[in-house]
Amino acid sequence: MTQIALDIRGLAKQFGPKVAVDNVSLQVPAGSFYGLVGPNGAGKTTMLSMATGLLRPDSGQALANGVDIWADPQAAKATLGVLADGVRQFDRLTGRQLVSYSGLLRGMDRAEVAERTEDLLRVMDLTGDGDKLVVDYSAGMTKKISLATAMIHSPKLLVLDEPFEAVDPVSAANIRDILNDYVEFGGTVIVSSHVMDLVQRMCTHVAVIAGGVLKAQGSVEQVRGGMSLEDRFVDLVGGRANNEGLSWLRTSSN
Amino acid sequence: MVAHILKLKLLLLANGFKRSTGQLIGVIIGGLYALGMIVMLTLAAWFLAGETAIDAELSILIGSLAVLGWAIIPPLLTGVDLTLEPSRFVHFGIPQKVLGPALVLSGFISVPAILTIIGLVGGSLIWRLEPLVLPVAVVAAIATAVMAVLVCQYLTIMATALRAKRRFRELTFAVLFLLLICLGPIISSIASAANSLLDWVGPIASVLAYTPLGAAAALPGALAQGDYLQFAICLILAVAYLGGLYWLVNRATAQATVTPPPQQRAAKQSGLGFFKYTPGTPTGAVIARALTYWLKDPRYAIGVLMVPVLPLLFWFTGSQSGNYTMMYLLGPLIGVLLGFSISADISYDNTAFALHVLTGVSGRADRAGRALACFALSIIPVLAAAILPGAIAGEAWRIPGDLGLSLAALLVALGVASVASARYTYAVPLPGDNPMKAPPGNGLRVAVTQLATIGTMAILLIPVFIPYLMGWFQESQPLGLLTLGIGLVLGVGLLFGGIALGGKWYEQRTPELMQAVMLNK
Repeated sequence: MTQIALDIRGLAKQFGPKVAVDNVSLQVPAGSFYGLVGPNGAGKTTMLSMATGLLRPDSGQALANGVDIWADPQAAKATLGVLADGVRQFDRLTGRQLVSYSGLLRGMDRAEVAERTEDLLRVMDLTGDGDKLVVDYSAGMTKKISLATAMIHSPKLLVLDEPFEAVDPVSAANIRDILNDYVEFGGTVIVSSHVMDLVQRMCTHVAVIAGGVLKAQGSVEQVRGGMSLEDRFVDLVGGRANNEGLSWLRTSSN
Repeated sequence: MVAHILKLKLLLLANGFKRSTGQLIGVIIGGLYALGMIVMLTLAAWFLAGETAIDAELSILIGSLAVLGWAIIPPLLTGVDLTLEPSRFVHFGIPQKVLGPALVLSGFISVPAILTIIGLVGGSLIWRLEPLVLPVAVVAAIATAVMAVLVCQYLTIMATALRAKRRFRELTFAVLFLLLICLGPIISSIASAANSLLDWVGPIASVLAYTPLGAAAALPGALAQGDYLQFAICLILAVAYLGGLYWLVNRATAQATVTPPPQQRAAKQSGLGFFKYTPGTPTGAVIARALTYWLKDPRYAIGVLMVPVLPLLFWFTGSQSGNYTMMYLLGPLIGVLLGFSISADISYDNTAFALHVLTGVSGRADRAGRALACFALSIIPVLAAAILPGAIAGEAWRIPGDLGLSLAALLVALGVASVASARYTYAVPLPGDNPMKAPPGNGLRVAVTQLATIGTMAILLIPVFIPYLMGWFQESQPLGLLTLGIGLVLGVGLLFGGIALGGKWYEQRTPELMQAVMLNK
């Protein structure tokens, strides 16, 4: 039997009258590279926040590596690395300080933290910027340093919300290599993304979520069923506008 | 096009009021207050008409104050509503001939501008007895108001360009805050020389009459005194100043629409800073992070600035009355204020707090780290404030008592704040924002929370107060030593208790705290 790295059981969250996530259950097998796709406002971030301990669900459970994150948060978080979307960092620290801080907060040994911090800065191509304040980083650099803070304790499961947003192609390729390596040696990665092409190439499994409801899950091959993932996604989610579009936006018509 | 931009400004003004009822109530109360001031000013002008010999000087002073106020307060302190900042129009390709005047005009569509115009026109009633001068006075008042708004616009555009540099921004706020605090003593020392003040009015006003501040406001006075040469000079000057300023504002808007935001020079810090010196544990890491923020984040820096300013203020007050008893309050006061300042710690983190949530750091480590960082910074100022007044006054017997109360105040404040901040967060200026800018709409909530927290501290300190006061009245050193003993035991106990209880609450409520900081409430 395959191990389940992240087991989401009936998570639900409602903000006022709006149901953000509606009873979603999802199993992420250990050792998979799992893509979570959905249109804007589908509830991806809300669901991942509930699965990582940032947002208390109205109902349901989330088990990270077999530990319920809401029953025993500290044990669950120890094996979990998270890149949250839309949160600040302690940006008055330098990049090096921030990554070290993340390691030390988890109770890691100082020497080990120092060594891994340098390694992470190196692979993120940030060695030269390690002494700069994070507040002066570009969006892509901030994303990379946040990713480093999520990886320093060598978690078994990485949950990455929009990891490639604003990251340049070279760094993105480097990050993909790191993640592929990580999966190859037994780690599990969940990424949320809008870029279907990327998910199709990179992931072994995929889940489609729209309007707070799970539309499909399984291996990429199963979900796309012979179509390209992008076409299948549009099928599942619907809402493709008819192609009448904006007739006046054709510069040739002037 | 000009009409479109003016309408946009009106819409923005109206929508700003719709956004929150709390803000609207605030604006109404502020507006009523300002209206009250205007009515007072108008009444004063009405009744002063013909009653005073220095009406010309008064006009100049009032006008100059208005312009000066507009020149200083909005660009440097409160920040201006930048929704119509010129650089926002970069993408629209509006011709400069249209955009310049439109932006200048839109500057008048704001509550303060309208109040200023009404106030200055009301002030011109001081000339109501002279039918020939009154119309000139009204025109001069409006010209002064226009000058005020133009000066403000020009300085705002310049300040915005400068303020984009972070270092500069942080420095200005620190300096201005110090100035503000010292304003009281400065004004009181000027007021104490009030007798000589009247002698000063004449020379000051006659100088101001030639500056942009008072040139327009000097017109009615010169006319009333029949000094036509002076009238002509001030008229030419006023027109020249207004024209020149208009040209400058226009040029500045034109430049702002084609200049990209300036590049910032990145700040550097080599190595790990405080992280190198604190223990390699979660608590130690939180201490190092908090210490770094205390020194680097201007929102904390304002709390630190209180330390040198308070003794100055108290000493100044003491030197006025010759009674320096207040200096003995410094130790406990600085202790409470510094200890209390960590009660907004999580709110200041804003969503960066997510790192604490995601790493699953224990509540105890989070609380202890923040409290100990504050303690490390506060202990020397508190010790100094407790020991020095007694030592300088040569009353060595009272030092143990002062020490006991001051240390107890610091420790108890840290303990109470550790509990309170795990439960109550409130809206604070965002990281990198103007630290003086109070976020609208939560005044009452903040006041109640802070009052309750400080009230709790006061009650918890009662066991230290009693021996302290008894020792003071009897001038008894043994009672002072007793105060010190009780203070230390109580303080340390409550600090540990506060960290433990705060840590427990923190762990129960971590996700709720996270949601609260996401909304900054």
